[in-house]
Amino acid sequence: MGTMRVQPGRLGSLGSRPATGTWHDFDLQLAFYALGLTVVGLLMAYTSSGGAPLEAGSIFTRGLMWLAIAIVMFTVAASIDYRWLKTLAWPVYLVNLSLLVLTLIVGSGVGGVSRWVTIGPLQFQFSELAKILMAVVLANYLASRQGKMKSLATTVGAFLLMMPALALVLIQPDLGTSLVFGAILFGSLFLSGAGLRWLLIAAAGVVAMVPIAWTYVLVDYQKRRLISFLDPAADPQNSGYQLIQSQIAVGSGGLFGKGLTNGSQTQLDYLPVSATDFVGATLAEELGFVGGVVLLLLFAALLWRILVVGWRSRDPFGLAFAAGIASMLLFQLMVNLGMVLGIMPVTGIPLPFVTHGGASLTSYAVGLGILQSIAMRQGRPAW
Amino acid sequence: MKGVFFDEPARPARLWPRFVIFALIIALVVATLGLRLFTLQIVSGGYYAGLARENRIRLQPLRAPRGLIFDRSGRQLVNNVATFAVKARPADLPFSQRPAVIERLATLLDMSAVDITEAFDRAAANRFELANVARGVPEEVALIIREEHLELPGIEVVVEPQREYPYGDLVAHVLGFTGAVTPDDLARSGSLGYLNDDTIGKQGVEATFEEILRGEYGVEQVEVDARGEEIRQLRTLQPAQPGDSLELTIDVDAQRDAETALRWAMDRVGLERGVVMAMNPQTGEILAMVSLPAYDNNAFAEGISAVEYQELLNEPGGPLRNHAIADHVPPGSTYKLVTGTGGLQDGILTDKTILQTRPYLSIGPYKYWDWNRQGFGPLNIYEGFGRSSGTFFFQIAGELGIDRLAYWASQFGFGERTGIDLPGEVRGVLPTNDWKMRLMNEPIYPGEVYQAGIGQGYDSFPPIQVLNAYAALANGGKLLKPQIVRRILGPDGEVVDEVEPELIHELAVDDDVLRIMRRAARRVVTIRQTYNLVDLPIVVAGKTGTAEFGVRDDKGRLPYHSWFAGFVPKDPWKRDSDPNGVEAVSRTDSELAVLAFAYDSRTTGNAATEIAKYFLQMHYDLDVDLRQDWILERDNFYGQ
Repeated sequence: MGTMRVQPGRLGSLGSRPATGTWHDFDLQLAFYALGLTVVGLLMAYTSSGGAPLEAGSIFTRGLMWLAIAIVMFTVAASIDYRWLKTLAWPVYLVNLSLLVLTLIVGSGVGGVSRWVTIGPLQFQFSELAKILMAVVLANYLASRQGKMKSLATTVGAFLLMMPALALVLIQPDLGTSLVFGAILFGSLFLSGAGLRWLLIAAAGVVAMVPIAWTYVLVDYQKRRLISFLDPAADPQNSGYQLIQSQIAVGSGGLFGKGLTNGSQTQLDYLPVSATDFVGATLAEELGFVGGVVLLLLFAALLWRILVVGWRSRDPFGLAFAAGIASMLLFQLMVNLGMVLGIMPVTGIPLPFVTHGGASLTSYAVGLGILQSIAMRQGRPAW
Repeated sequence: MKGVFFDEPARPARLWPRFVIFALIIALVVATLGLRLFTLQIVSGGYYAGLARENRIRLQPLRAPRGLIFDRSGRQLVNNVATFAVKARPADLPFSQRPAVIERLATLLDMSAVDITEAFDRAAANRFELANVARGVPEEVALIIREEHLELPGIEVVVEPQREYPYGDLVAHVLGFTGAVTPDDLARSGSLGYLNDDTIGKQGVEATFEEILRGEYGVEQVEVDARGEEIRQLRTLQPAQPGDSLELTIDVDAQRDAETALRWAMDRVGLERGVVMAMNPQTGEILAMVSLPAYDNNAFAEGISAVEYQELLNEPGGPLRNHAIADHVPPGSTYKLVTGTGGLQDGILTDKTILQTRPYLSIGPYKYWDWNRQGFGPLNIYEGFGRSSGTFFFQIAGELGIDRLAYWASQFGFGERTGIDLPGEVRGVLPTNDWKMRLMNEPIYPGEVYQAGIGQGYDSFPPIQVLNAYAALANGGKLLKPQIVRRILGPDGEVVDEVEPELIHELAVDDDVLRIMRRAARRVVTIRQTYNLVDLPIVVAGKTGTAEFGVRDDKGRLPYHSWFAGFVPKDPWKRDSDPNGVEAVSRTDSELAVLAFAYDSRTTGNAATEIAKYFLQMHYDLDVDLRQDWILERDNFYGQ
């Protein structure tokens, strides 16, 4: 039984290397769930376009454009044999860090932060791409530590690898995204089999860091945002306002919602950043509990498929990478929807696929493309 | 098989318990989020739906169109014209941008930065409501401000009705004007629902009939966005009730005649102020009320600048004050009506009684001179009133005493507000022993009683009280409230309310006594105390007055005002059967009482009589012009 069966003539396998990958093993479910979430995102872009969704430059048309780009990037990433990434891991790492440094130098953002780099008409948030790239770098590192997974050195090494990127994002300052790096780190280590002892100690260390970070790292507005969810009414005009309005939007949606483009909270601008960070509230208001459950199920299914890809991977790189992407997706889902539903602090973390924004969508497209590449190049598992 | 380019890695050690744990974490997160979604949307859905509705639906007042004002023959004295107003919602104007916005507005609106800042801060308590910045803004400026709305956050241009007074200063004191509400207005009118950027009647009938003119504001439901801007109307909960209109008692023709007459004399003499009024003694209706100098109330309706307002306040003539009701001035000899009536009614004299007049009367070392410094010999009441002899009335006043004199004065309405429906009316000063004890801790001295008997000394009243006293004389003893509004008209012109004559009281004076006084007033004219007034083809009765005030000049002379107060019988034309008009004035059917007052006149003759004469000539369309310019020479002549 060969690990890579030859599948001639199927769906344009990559020519001269029939053994390296096959579209036969393309994980349709993975693509389908992701596409489903993206369509939900497009619906939200449509409703957020202020009554003129088809005009050039509207959120909806830009969403369509980004979707096209994302599909291309997904296809390209799936086509390329992911094993090249191992060779390229260190250059990727360096490029990644330099993009983050570049963001700090020339980036722009609201209120003195540096998050976006503007290239021509486009704004790009490199920290989104960095999440995927760091998952690649980390997976490559963990694959190289086979046999030594449980050692302290592996865990410490992974932390050291992750720290520069995490720190560069944190000083933008973008606390939310830097926490996503943490999630990738822990998730990859955990599923790859790192020593539980070390992980627990590391987790304890992170918890111990909280008071220190609170005092020395966090800026005032971050602190205010972080605690306002505990009592939004205490500061209803500022950070609490978003939370209150978001919960009103969600709650008033009821079972079936008010209908697309009919949400008063969204359409009358009571809900801030309704197309981006609080897109979940828009969805819940206009599509109701039913829409919200569909969204959650799509995410659950997608996460499940990512785990399956990881499980099936005969390559520790694939497992670690799938673990990283799944952790990142789960963390973002939890923090973003948790914020929308008023059970998590306000952090500027987008809801993957649904939040309007090219950087997040194309980065995830690349991530899922790599996962497809992994799925297609494992052959049928023996079990 | 091995890959061609890559080493096949070792199969990883798959830790299924960790995958299970991870899957459970996913399930836990999704379930938690789903449960929370369920709580918010299904369990508390109704509650949040209510909050969302409260967010987007705002109750908004519907402004009612303000009622109009007409004169008694239906001439429209005020228009509601659509104008552009610039308003500010302070909450929408970031503090950092304030200086720039204020500077730009100051340039565009040609206002001072101080006025604009004041407008922004006027409604500090209601930063989310609109506040007036400028009204009556020219269209081109309004359009520029609209264009620049991005640079002018919190500034809005709205079209709203504004008062326009086509007759300008002719009826300014009667009409008054509307203006932006002040915090004081808002506090005072609490429950009436005035808005921050509302207008309110400030002066004249615009102020006294504010509630009628304003109507009732309605309420509508509108959908608003997060910035508070209206998206669409949902429904009207309570429609606005347009304000009712006023039909004034004023006749614009009579008003214009009165103004023409007064202005003529003022221009010739260089008077600082003057008053002409005409009223119907049968009903108390004011036909004309002119106080000069006046002001253009349109300036206020458009929103007067602080500088212009200060200039008006500083003008010596006091153009903002309605001198007819708001000034304290000594009534002079017109007051002899009170003294004469009191003497007759209290039996101090009859129309047969002859009193000896002299150059002066003495009290101790003080001499109280008759006006001609010679006396007129023996006189009865007709001659005494006609000649306006001081020593004649000193004797009656001395017999009456100050308190009795005050009683008769109050019978004629002196010392009490007439109650006319205009703001700013004063009571006047009616001296009594009590009054002086309270004020100066000493009684009235006998000499002061003499002074009071001829309307000098402490006595001072607004001109309307003098007119009202002569109206009561003319109508046979009914002291009426002077009326300024005749009817209230609904929005479609239907009569909602008619103002009936309002009796203050009947004078406690016999008809005979009043008839004697009317005849005496006619004697004033026929004796030519009023020069050629007697030559008019109509019968006029009245009394002149010269009232000293102020401080003596270097020749020891006091400046003085001139008065004329009188009436014309209903059928005023002279008849051969009644050559002296005595029968005519014996009747009580007069429909015209008239008053002229020339402040600080110092003319050779009585300027007020000339003004009244000119007014009557025009009012009755007489084909004669008996005005005598020489009378209006400035000469500081002691004519009485």
